[in-house]
Formats: sequence, structure tokens, C-alpha cells
Amino acid sequence: MSPAPARRGGVITAIALVVLGVLAALPPFYLSGYWVRVLTGLLMYGALASAINIMVGFAGYPALGNIVFFGVGAYTVAVLMVKYNTDFFVALVAAGVLAALYAMVLGAAVLRLRGAYFGIATIGINHATSEIVTNLDSLTGGGRGTIVPFYPGGIEEERMFFYFLMLGLMVLAVATVWLISRNRLGYGLRALKADQEGASVMGVNTTRYKVIAWTISAGLTGLVGGAYAYWLAFLEPPYVFDITMSVKTYIMAILGGAGTVAGPVVGAFALELLSELIWGRFLEAHMLVLGIVVVLVVLFIPQGFMNLAGRLVGLLRGRRRPGEVGADG
Amino acid sequence: MVNGLLTGGLYALVAVGFSLVWGVMNVVNIAHAAYIMLGAYTSYWLFRLFNWDPFLSIPVSMAVLFALGYLIASVVLNRVIRFGLVMTLVLTFGIDLILQNAALMLWSADYRSVTPAYAGQGLAIGGVMVPYVRLAVFLLAVLFVVLFSLFLSKTRMGNAIQATALNPGAAELTGVRIERIYAMTYAIGAALAAAAGSMISVVYTIQPQVGNVFLTRAFVITVLGGLGSIPGALLGGVILGLAESFATVTVGVGWSEAVSFALLVLILIVRPQGLLGRRFFGGVG
Repeated sequence: MSPAPARRGGVITAIALVVLGVLAALPPFYLSGYWVRVLTGLLMYGALASAINIMVGFAGYPALGNIVFFGVGAYTVAVLMVKYNTDFFVALVAAGVLAALYAMVLGAAVLRLRGAYFGIATIGINHATSEIVTNLDSLTGGGRGTIVPFYPGGIEEERMFFYFLMLGLMVLAVATVWLISRNRLGYGLRALKADQEGASVMGVNTTRYKVIAWTISAGLTGLVGGAYAYWLAFLEPPYVFDITMSVKTYIMAILGGAGTVAGPVVGAFALELLSELIWGRFLEAHMLVLGIVVVLVVLFIPQGFMNLAGRLVGLLRGRRRPGEVGADG
Repeated sequence: MVNGLLTGGLYALVAVGFSLVWGVMNVVNIAHAAYIMLGAYTSYWLFRLFNWDPFLSIPVSMAVLFALGYLIASVVLNRVIRFGLVMTLVLTFGIDLILQNAALMLWSADYRSVTPAYAGQGLAIGGVMVPYVRLAVFLLAVLFVVLFSLFLSKTRMGNAIQATALNPGAAELTGVRIERIYAMTYAIGAALAAAAGSMISVVYTIQPQVGNVFLTRAFVITVLGGLGSIPGALLGGVILGLAESFATVTVGVGWSEAVSFALLVLILIVRPQGLLGRRFFGGVG
């Protein structure tokens, strides 16, 4: 590819990003409280979907129980702020670090499993961790729940704070995924996703890359969890170790296009917006409709929006692009 | 301890259907939880409305779920199988959501139970009071497992199913219609879940999400005993039943689920094909 188109593409991308950035900063000033809350939720899921994309889209490991790191992050912030009077931002960093460490420690053993076994192991880890947190109730408040100190400030301020916090985390997550996609880690992961033994033979240290991927994914998820704890101000283990939420982010990543950078965010926004609108209208049927959406997505769009869009763009340009194989099993 | 053993038998039945579908179709059937629940509710309603003895309603709940399972498999599942295990898992998760929430909407989250006249009575065995119901459930569950095992090895359909599990390509060459076998297998799995569900309705109180905790146990048992292995499921069921009972006595009820998950992860790492399994669709890096 000659340098001129690339540079032009770069300028266009930069402008697009600036425009997006400005657009993103506007909502809390102009929209009602309800919509700001909805958008904050969208941003949160965008961050979570991007984080899980590292495992699902790049490494090809179906981390169905990834939400465990969300829970760990949330409870880290809660415990630090409640028991040790830590400042929020310090606690947040600790949340990310702790979640990352958890993945690092577990990773060595659990990443030896593949496919469904790995997926199920992560689900098991999620449930077991939830149990452990519940049982350590002198520390965490257990099943009774724990109240996290409120954000010191008025409602308007609070809304803006959390909006920008989640926005920041989402940007961090997407930026991380983008960086990974362009650097050695990304190539290594893609290689091991396609053929782990082959990659290993070619000199990719698969174990190390897998563990690093999971650590990063966990750290990001943990940060989001920590932010969530402060946002919600009240935690109970089922809220944050929620396997339905976990599968939802997994589906968001697939729906949007696993392995792409922007895909999971698109998927997250689409699914969560749909979810929120349905919840508004069909309070009771909400989960049922989610189930129907899941079934439809799997049946009709297994390769995700971005890949679908990519193919459409390719067709429109009159060139045939080799089809991307979708997220695997 | 005796309780653990008896519960183990029921667990084994719960696991057999799940293990079968996984071993033959390479599908982790999350909807198994919903089928258990539907079986339980079938028995409940037959009892509530027509006073049917719950044990007699087992054939009915099995038939209903067989039909449902066959329908779901042929219409939806068979199309997604080629996308791999994770996709089918997500699909069955969606189906499970739909069924459980429909039940929640129709029948509310109220706890229900089936209480035939003989529910409270029991037998004294060596100083322990064993309710008749639990004993009957255990015996019936074991009977089902054994009958099913015979079905697999002695009948043509059973052999076709086993062949498909071992090598779908070769099976197809000998004239086995894979899609039909898959639908059959899935339907049988659902029927077995229903049988277990009917028994559960007598021993436990039920509500729309009752199947979830049993599904979790089915996971552990399937992995413990080996994918697709019936004797493995029986062995695994008993082991889990005893382990849980032991954990409840020593560490307390709260930790028992953590214990079973720890067991699961450990087995996956140490011996992923399970105690009695052969490698069907395994994967260890």
C-alpha cells in the first residue's frame, strides 16, 4: 500500500476521532438525567465488551466467566473504601491491579484448558469466587451487602463524574485493544487463536501471551468493576458476579465482531440500548426478550456486525474480500 | 451420609441427559436446567389439578419434554451446531433464558411443592430416618440410568447414537442420519431431565429457577465421570452427593458449592477426560 493513501486515511481517522470526542463530551450537559444514566451504562458495557474481546476475539478463549474480575474489582473498591477509608482513585487502581493479579495466578493453570472446558472453568471460578466473597462476610458484608461511600457532591456533579469516568475507562479499554492489535502481542494472540501448536512451533510463547492477555483483560474489567461499585454505592455478590451479565458482554463482543477494535463497542451499545428500551416497556418480559435476541443473534449474525459491515463495504467497493471466519467454538 | 448417597442417585439422573448431549453432539446444553424445571412443573400441575401421583406423572413429563427437545433440536440447534461448541452454548443459554422467564411470567416465582400423602413417612435404617420418597427417587433414578445404559448398548437407535458420538463421519457412511440422531439425542436428554425434574418436585420445593443449581451439579458430574459416560455419571453423581454431604457437615452449607467448583476445576486440570471417560471432544493445552 503506498504511503499517500495511508496518510490520508490517518488524517481522516484523526478528524473522526476528534469529532467523536467532542460529541462524546456533550451529553451530560444537554440530556436528562435518565439518558445520562443510560449512556453511562452503555459506556460501561462498551468497556467490558472490549476487555472480553481480548480473550474472545484475539486469543480465541471463550472467557464466559470473565465477570469474576468485575466482581473482584468492585469488592476491592468497596472494601478499601469502607474498611480502610481509602480515596476512590487509589482504590480504583488497586481494583484493577488485584483483578489482574487474580487472572495471572489462575491463568497459569486454567489457560491450559481449551474451548468449552476453559469456558466452563471460568464460569466455575466466577461462582466459586462469588461464594468465597459471600462467606468472608466480616470483610465484605457477605450476603447482606455492603454500602460504599457516596460520591461527595450534588446529583448533577455525580452524574457527570460517572459519565466521564466510564467514558474514560471505555476509551482506555478500546485504546488498549487497538494497541494490542498492532503490536506483537496481538499478532501472537491471533496466531495462537488460529493454531496454537503451530504458533508455538513458530516461536510464539503461547503460555506467556495467553496469561498476559488474560491479565490485561482482567485488569480492565476490574477497573470497570471498581467504578461500578462507587457508582452503584451498594454491592451484593449476585449483583457483580452475575453470570448473565458475563454472557451478555460475551455476546456483545461477538455481535459487534470479535477480533475487531470497534466491533465490541458497537455490539455493546446496540444490545444494551435494546435492553434498556425493552426494560422500559416490558419490565417482566425483559429477560425473555434478551433470550430471544441471543437466539436470533446466534442464528443469523454469528460473525458479528463489523465483519458483516466489512463484507458489505468490500462488496460495494467492487472487490471480493475473503470472508472472515467468525468467532469460534 | 446416607442422604448423600441417595441424593447422589438423583444427581446422576440429572447428569446423564446432560452428559449424553455433550458427549454425542458436543453441545453444552444450558437449557437442561429449563427442561428439569419444566418436568418438575408438569408433575406439579398434574398433581395440583388432577391429583396424579407424581411418580405416575413421570412418563407424561418425559413425553412432553421429549417432544419439546426434538422440536428445539430440529428447528434451531441443528443449524448452529456447525458453528462450534461456544455458539451452541450461547444458543442454549438463550433458550434457557426464554423458557425460565416464560415460566416466571406464567407461574410466578412462588415456591411450590408436590406433597402426596406419603411424603412425610419414612423408614428407619440403622438409626437414620430415611424418607420413603427419597428412597424411591434413588431407586427409580438408578433404574432409569441402568435402563438407559441398556438402551444405548442393545438397541439399534442406541447404537446409532453411540456411533455418532465416536465418529460422525463414519456413522454417516453406514447410513446413520446424523441430524435425526442429534434431534433424538437432544430429545432423550430433555426427557431424562424431565424425569429427574418430576422426582425433584417431590423431594424439593420448586420455582422457575430450580434447574440452575442442578445444572451446575450436572456440569461437575459430567466432567468428573467423563463426557458421555453413563457409568461415569452414576459414579460422579454418587461422589458429588457424598462430597456435598460431607462438606455440609464439616465446613458448613455456604462453602459446599465452592467445594464442588474447586473439585470441577481440579478435575479439568488433572484429568479432563474424567474418571471413566474417553476423550470425545476434549481439549487440554
